[in-house]
Amino acid sequence: MNVADSRDQALHLLTAAINHADLAVKLSSLKQAKDILSSLDSSSAADLFPYVVDLQRSPHTLVRKFLLEIIEDIALKTIDHSAVLVPVLVAFLRDVDTDVVKQSIVTGTHFFCSVLEEMTLQFQQHGKVDQWLQELWMWLLRFKEGVFSIALQPGPIGIKLLALKFLETYVLLFTPDNVYSEKFEATRGSRRTFNISWLRGGHPILDPVALTSDANRTLFLLLDMLQSASSLPGAITITIVNCLAAIARKRPRHYGTVLSALLDFNPNFETVRECHKASIQYSLRTAFLGFLRCTYPAIVESRERLLRALRAMNAGDAADQVIRQVEKMIKNSERERASREIQSVRDDQASSQAYVLGDLSKKRSMPQDNEELTNSFEMASKRIRSGPNTHSTPLTQINDSGQDFSSINGASSNLPLSDDNLTPVEQMIAMIGALLAEGERGAESLEILISKIHPDLLSDIVITNMRHLPKSPPPLSNVGTLPTTQQAFNVNSRAQVVPPSAPTTSLHTPVSTPELPVTSAATTVSSISDTSTVNSFAADSKRDPRRDPRRLDPRRAAVSVGMSSSPVLEDTGTGMSEFDGSISNKPLSVPVVENPPMRSMPTSQSNDKIIEGPSITGVEQPAPEGDVVDGEEGIAPILEVKSSSNCEGGPYIVDADSAELNADAEVKHETDESLFPESDQNHPASITISSLDDSGRDLPVLPLFVELTEEQKRSVRKSAVQQMAESYLHLHWSDCNETRMALLARLVGQIDAGDDIVVLLGKQILVDYRHQKGHEIVLQVLYHLYSLAVRNSVDNSSCPTVYEDFLLEVSKSLLDTLPASDKSFSRLLGEVPFLPDSALKLLDDLCSSDVFDVTGKEIRDAERVTQGLGVVWSLILGRPNNRQACLGIALKCAVHSQDDIRGKAIRLVANKLYQLNYVSGEIEQFATNMLLSAVDQCGSIDERGEREVGNGDASTSGSQLSEPSASGIDSSNTESTSNSASVVSFPEAQRLISLFFALCTKKPSLLQLLFDMYGRTPKIVKQAFHRHIPIVIRALGQSYSQLLRIISDPPQGSENLLTLVLQILTQETTPPPDLVATVKHLYETKLMDATILIPMLSSLPKNEVLPIFPRLVELPLEKFQLALAHILQGSAHTGPALTPAEVLVAIHDIVPEKGGPPLKKITDACSACFEQRTVFTHQVLAKALNQLVDQVPLPLLFMRTVIQAIDAFPTLVDFVMEILSKLVSKQIWRMPKLWVGFLKCVVQTQPHSFPVLLQLPPPQLQSTLNKYGSLKSSLASYASQPNIKDSLPRSTLAILGLANESHMQAQQQPHMSNLHSSDTSVQGATPS
Amino acid sequence: MKFRYAMVCSSNQNRSMESHYLLKKQGFDVSSYGTGTHVKLPGPSLREPNVYEFGTPYKHMFDDLRRKDPDLYKRNGILPMLKRNLSVKLAPQRWQDNAADGYFDIVFTFEEKVFDMVLEDLHNRDQVLLKSVLVINLEVKDNHEEAAVGARLALDLCEQIEAVESWEDSIDDIMISFENKHRRKLMYSISFY
Repeated sequence: MNVADSRDQALHLLTAAINHADLAVKLSSLKQAKDILSSLDSSSAADLFPYVVDLQRSPHTLVRKFLLEIIEDIALKTIDHSAVLVPVLVAFLRDVDTDVVKQSIVTGTHFFCSVLEEMTLQFQQHGKVDQWLQELWMWLLRFKEGVFSIALQPGPIGIKLLALKFLETYVLLFTPDNVYSEKFEATRGSRRTFNISWLRGGHPILDPVALTSDANRTLFLLLDMLQSASSLPGAITITIVNCLAAIARKRPRHYGTVLSALLDFNPNFETVRECHKASIQYSLRTAFLGFLRCTYPAIVESRERLLRALRAMNAGDAADQVIRQVEKMIKNSERERASREIQSVRDDQASSQAYVLGDLSKKRSMPQDNEELTNSFEMASKRIRSGPNTHSTPLTQINDSGQDFSSINGASSNLPLSDDNLTPVEQMIAMIGALLAEGERGAESLEILISKIHPDLLSDIVITNMRHLPKSPPPLSNVGTLPTTQQAFNVNSRAQVVPPSAPTTSLHTPVSTPELPVTSAATTVSSISDTSTVNSFAADSKRDPRRDPRRLDPRRAAVSVGMSSSPVLEDTGTGMSEFDGSISNKPLSVPVVENPPMRSMPTSQSNDKIIEGPSITGVEQPAPEGDVVDGEEGIAPILEVKSSSNCEGGPYIVDADSAELNADAEVKHETDESLFPESDQNHPASITISSLDDSGRDLPVLPLFVELTEEQKRSVRKSAVQQMAESYLHLHWSDCNETRMALLARLVGQIDAGDDIVVLLGKQILVDYRHQKGHEIVLQVLYHLYSLAVRNSVDNSSCPTVYEDFLLEVSKSLLDTLPASDKSFSRLLGEVPFLPDSALKLLDDLCSSDVFDVTGKEIRDAERVTQGLGVVWSLILGRPNNRQACLGIALKCAVHSQDDIRGKAIRLVANKLYQLNYVSGEIEQFATNMLLSAVDQCGSIDERGEREVGNGDASTSGSQLSEPSASGIDSSNTESTSNSASVVSFPEAQRLISLFFALCTKKPSLLQLLFDMYGRTPKIVKQAFHRHIPIVIRALGQSYSQLLRIISDPPQGSENLLTLVLQILTQETTPPPDLVATVKHLYETKLMDATILIPMLSSLPKNEVLPIFPRLVELPLEKFQLALAHILQGSAHTGPALTPAEVLVAIHDIVPEKGGPPLKKITDACSACFEQRTVFTHQVLAKALNQLVDQVPLPLLFMRTVIQAIDAFPTLVDFVMEILSKLVSKQIWRMPKLWVGFLKCVVQTQPHSFPVLLQLPPPQLQSTLNKYGSLKSSLASYASQPNIKDSLPRSTLAILGLANESHMQAQQQPHMSNLHSSDTSVQGATPS
Repeated sequence: MKFRYAMVCSSNQNRSMESHYLLKKQGFDVSSYGTGTHVKLPGPSLREPNVYEFGTPYKHMFDDLRRKDPDLYKRNGILPMLKRNLSVKLAPQRWQDNAADGYFDIVFTFEEKVFDMVLEDLHNRDQVLLKSVLVINLEVKDNHEEAAVGARLALDLCEQIEAVESWEDSIDDIMISFENKHRRKLMYSISFY
């Protein structure tokens, strides 16, 4: 079949497809037509395209879909003939059927990529793009607009998802991916490999700047959508997150933006509609995990943030696993790289570099996200950026050329790793530059972008751009060694070589782009950022390796190294080094030799003067301490003239004419042109140059630069910063947005040490510190100063001092101006980046030192102490690095001689700090040392000479902790020395031991030490012990298990303390069973001293008290009395262990002979009982006696007790008589010891005892009367009473001599009546 | 049945195969995969699993294990499972190597880790087809009983997805109502081929 036949047949089939009524026929016709079309050559097939296009009006969805398939299949192959087909795609975006729309997006996307690629190829190969292709591209741009509007407008979600995907593709296509352009060969047909980095500019359609900024805008479109996710369906939100994640992973320059957007994104919002939040949340998790898999430096550096975010969503494990995998892969790839590098040293370096870093799967190199603190590295890398990206310079060569700066070379040689990598600042600058270059179109995006930039970043952008302004001189050390004046010749020659670039641009851009938005009230700030971006962009784009004609020039690397190797080099004018390298034809060594003098030339004068200009105050001041770039020197005077500022260094002005400058610029321009034949008006470099030309023409005579003396320079610099600060401070602080704070911080960073400007600034900020943003601004400043300090730590620059000065100044002012209750001071110290010793000293003073002023008057404010200690606490919690020092301060206060300070400090240490396990050990050690020092110090007091030695020990032990605490001990030593007149002072002992006791309440096991030491503790310290121990014991409450352990095995010599403890424990409470058991066990096994049992007695049952009763009786009387009280008191539950009567019985049961207590003790015990008349009442006695009398044998002391009883309670006489008569019946006379007592009792109780006497058998009566003769007469008269006499046996009467009855009777009667009335006389006799 | 389904678990043995089996029986266009590096089956102890390469026929594994310890593998259900599997397809397939199998509309995973791996793998592919794919994770424990339950739930979910006109518009509702109905947590994401 020939071509014509096929064509005819295809036409026939297509017609059938259009006209036939039956869908099946239509479709099968189409299918055949498609087959034929794809077999035809492109031009023949193209003839049929109009018929194909006709199908788009078919009412059948399937037909329309099929049409799209045909377009996809055939048109892509014959792209030059597809102009008629593409409009179909655009039309189908509005089709009613979602499938058709979807397919249209898909096909269109493929078309988009193919056409883009085709155009690039054409442009690169032929320097132009065919008309038909441009037309096609216009259609595709319409297609793009259509898809964008689908993404943004409501509609079926399925289509929107695809549209979002197209947005992602779009961003990826037009964001440079840093793949080396060298790699781009004619890869026609390999879809999706296009990247904006292939483009070299120069074509109105294929303008990389415009396209990149379009991509940036698209990214922001996605970010905006994410922010409004609460009103979106879950599927869309998830897709947006996934698209953003894909962009961030594939185009690391957007990583920072995307990451912060994702981190800020909170899927737990209240949604307008139902959506599956868990899945949205999970999409974030997937995104973060995906980031972790990347090894781009920017992503690696944000690992901590990612990990934190992932842990917060409980994905810590997954994250750890990913990190492990990645690290393994890095190792592998490094190994692989190492081997490859060896191979390819002689090969194209660029290709070997590609393996250095990058997504492991893609091996693509990446920008580096250098944080501020790593700036030292960043500086160098910036310097060398345009160098190493040429890759043609072997590392060895870099080292050779830079050998003069060997200290830096270590860093330099690493630099190729990060080459080509842009810092976030530079990325941003590039992005802003791109937007600016677009003019009006970019204005809106620029506004959005700037409003989204983090203040820190924005400030860095501003400061970074300052580098393109005139520079201040290098640090003094450099200046000193170099001539401070430069010859005009030098200046001129340099000006010829190096055309000025950036600064001019920054001035003039506002003119050329008047539509620039002013985003904040502070015009200075916003205009700085807006305008300055241009120049940096210009510089940036010039740095672009692909445009850099010098990328093959080995000297470039050499220059770069030379530049970067200056340690103080914040910034060398990139413009200079580049132009220098590119234009000069000098041999390799020349740039290296030539650059240092340039750098060190102090030309900041002009810079400083500019500051005086009111309109640009904010702009120039922060010019970093970097080097002077000659090109910029030339420019400085221009600025000066424009701002018509007062020129301080007038006499030093060196004139140079503008014509020369212009000429330079032209030369440069031409050079540029020649080097970049493809460049056109849109080329950023050209923008720079042309604007420069303008400025040159406007300004007639230009003083080149001004020399100032060191002194002048400093004062100018100072006054500039001052003015700057003041102008800030005059603004309302509430207006002080973060950007401004960040800027101010960087300004302060420019100040030398020792400048009182720091002090001044500190004071100014403090005015209204609390209500305004003083804290934030101070922190901003401090952090920046600190970052500078860290950066410069190698060459020991002045920054630490500036930092310290500023911190101290602010701290002092805070203390002076704000009340003690204010938390600002604490917050400040807690949040500053670093606490120098001086700050800690300040804190120390606040807490403890300088208690007395000169006159000896106390000036301490207790609230300040509290404040100081509060700060100490928060610092210990929040600043591990300063923990030691702060702990030292706290401990020092905890042994302070002043009670209130000590009390506060002890509360802090014991209640708060001691709970922290990382300091508890030290606290304990310190407290123990203090305790020991108290014990030993006082112990050796007897020999006074040793006292000082003891003190020395104490201070040594304290100094182990930290510096401040050592000094604390010293001061306490002087204190104690002053007290030494009183030998061992009780307060001194208290001072030293209080902390330990306070700790004991927190950690009872420490009590052991107290017990151990108690034995050797001197008396006064013991007293202090005794005063503290009740507090401890009560504080321990029920948790005294530790105490129980001690009680069960008390150290020797601690018995007193033990007893005291037991007393305290049992005071007003029933001792718990375990305590009782412990004490009992102790008593039984180790300590036979019954004293310790006394406090327990109340809770012991009767059967336990009785066995130990003899031991108690044995105790000294006062202890027995105590014991007695306990026994009788008993517990609330069980009642008394023994009733008083039982006590008496128990006492009597003691048998003195059997190794028990001596009789004397027993009698004393008895007496002790009788002394308690309210307890041992007559009833009690009666009961006891009743029991005793029935005992066999009778207790030894029975009669004694009876006599005492009757003495104590004469009313007992009748009862006693019963006892006595019982005794008679027990034949008391047979018990000689008792018999004596019996008789004594009988005699004492006469006449009541007469009946008892008369009961005695005659022999005993006889012997009694023999012994007590006085009894006989009265007894006889009693017996002679008739009723009695009758009952008496004759023998008895005979003894009484009552044989003569009548006589006796007469005599007896009156006497009897006397007796009966003489109860009182008996009573009266008892006391005797 | 308008969609192509993929069931993915770790070893393409139990969970994915259970649901593959069930969906296939119901007439769905379904495939199944595993994301692990190897196919692992329980062995005589926890430390001695039986490890096979993906692509090893189920039949081979079946014979191998029956030879090793027929009682054990019968008791723990491995042999019956393999028998079921070899009736479904020839051998376990690895998800990461399935590019040739074309695109899927809906992918089910039965474990969070697998879900992550599928998404990561999709990310790393050249997404040129611009074909959206819905990936759903349904957490299912790796035992026979749970796998059976999981497969039924997956089937239920598939039927619901088939029932709506466009899953993109209804996926949130489907997910939420499924979670409420079955008290099971679901997760979904969207990627592209």
